[in-house]
Amino acid sequence: MPVCAHPVPPWLLMGARFILGLVAAALLWEGAVIAFGIRPHILPRLSTILSAIAATPGAYWSGFLRTLLETLIGFAAGAIVGVLNGVMFFRAPVLRDLLFPIFVVSQTIPVIAFGALVVLWFGNTLLAKAVIAFYLTFFPVTVNTLLGLQSVDPRQTALLRSFGASGRQQMLRLQLPMALPQIFVALRLAASLSLVGAIVGEWFGDTTGLGVLLLQAMYNENVVGLWAAILCAAVLGTGFYALVAYAERRIVFWGAEQ
Amino acid sequence: MSRRALRGVLGIALLLILWEGVARGFALPSYTLPSVSEILLSVWRQRQLLASAAWFTMAEALAGYAIGCVAGIGIAVLLSLLPPVRRGMMPAMMAINSVPVAAWSPLLLLWLGVGIASKIAAVALAVGFTVFLSALAGLDRVDRRTIGLMRSFGAGPLSILWRLRLPTALPLIASGMRVSTVRSLIVAIVTEMLGAYGGLGWIIYQAVVQIDFVSVWSAILVASALSLAFFGLIGAIERRVVFWR
Repeated sequence: MPVCAHPVPPWLLMGARFILGLVAAALLWEGAVIAFGIRPHILPRLSTILSAIAATPGAYWSGFLRTLLETLIGFAAGAIVGVLNGVMFFRAPVLRDLLFPIFVVSQTIPVIAFGALVVLWFGNTLLAKAVIAFYLTFFPVTVNTLLGLQSVDPRQTALLRSFGASGRQQMLRLQLPMALPQIFVALRLAASLSLVGAIVGEWFGDTTGLGVLLLQAMYNENVVGLWAAILCAAVLGTGFYALVAYAERRIVFWGAEQ
Repeated sequence: MSRRALRGVLGIALLLILWEGVARGFALPSYTLPSVSEILLSVWRQRQLLASAAWFTMAEALAGYAIGCVAGIGIAVLLSLLPPVRRGMMPAMMAINSVPVAAWSPLLLLWLGVGIASKIAAVALAVGFTVFLSALAGLDRVDRRTIGLMRSFGAGPLSILWRLRLPTALPLIASGMRVSTVRSLIVAIVTEMLGAYGGLGWIIYQAVVQIDFVSVWSAILVASALSLAFFGLIGAIERRVVFWR
């Protein structure tokens, strides 16, 4: 008789451990607040925060979706433009030398100061918030794409060329795949940054979104509401990051990270 | 000057000329896009106000930066020396880090008030985590065989830390510190815009409310110049200290 006729699949085991860890953390939070008598002004009980979300789930859900959409659009645009920029800079070093310093300077601009201007230029729309998320995302992707492309062994490129591969074939079959691990390092960073961009972008006179919920709770000195929004932002950030990391493991299956 | 640097200067000059030309040629209103000369003139006119605001923001950013670096490196060293504590603490650290910095700012403002304490705390949090994660990655990078070799010569954990782990980790710590420079100023300004008694972020916020976008641009210009100077300074120190890189 086999010892284990139906082996537990590894993903189920991982999921179970994850949920167990989450429950332990929740109990720890709840217990610590009660045991140490932490005032709700500093840190409310987790159950209070969760019941605040449960009381008005609609507001949090629509805010969550709205911020998610802005984050995704900004991230996608930033990733595409970043990779294209990297390829362009790799192919045309003159352009790289001309434009790269400008990109560097652009990243020292506090994006929130830009927020008001972007809203002015694009109107108070979803697009304006996505533009801010894009602005934070495209630069790290550009840098890492360029680094990844530059690290390709020139002898491999020479070999491909000797077989008559065109520039595009070299790029698609050799150089971009070789740069993928580096690109994904930037994409993981970009996942976090695009969320920051979306949240900060919402601080300029929007009506829905997690950033709006944060700001409203702050002005009303509603600590429970503030924590509820922070919790939603954490779930969104972790979920998106995990998704990008999962895509990385599937796409860069040879795992050449660093 | 190298050809590369020359091209960089040329690129920025071309952008400025294009900007000036577009702003003047299309006679754009200054709330859409003021011309470069208009911004520079406004910086010069408001130089005293901007200088004192820049000093205010820089002081907050520097204080938070120092606290963040010391705390980040300190906690990373402590956790790398005590693996059991590390296993217990890491999930909590990652949970704190999974919340975007922008989401902590309103909470810090409620906790610590509108004064400079909330800005310093926000900067320290942002800088601390960046430095902490890069320091931990650097400390982990040490070759196990080299540790074994040192231990066989009778080196204790502290000696291994000082002579092997820290020098190996230093390049990564330094790059984390360099990246954090720009972030420290941005976080200070972001938190100032939510509420402050002074600083560049406060000027930007007031100018936005008054729809005075030339002032917004001139404050952005000053903030950007400050960030670049800070970045350059830390980069120069890094090249001096981490000479073996």
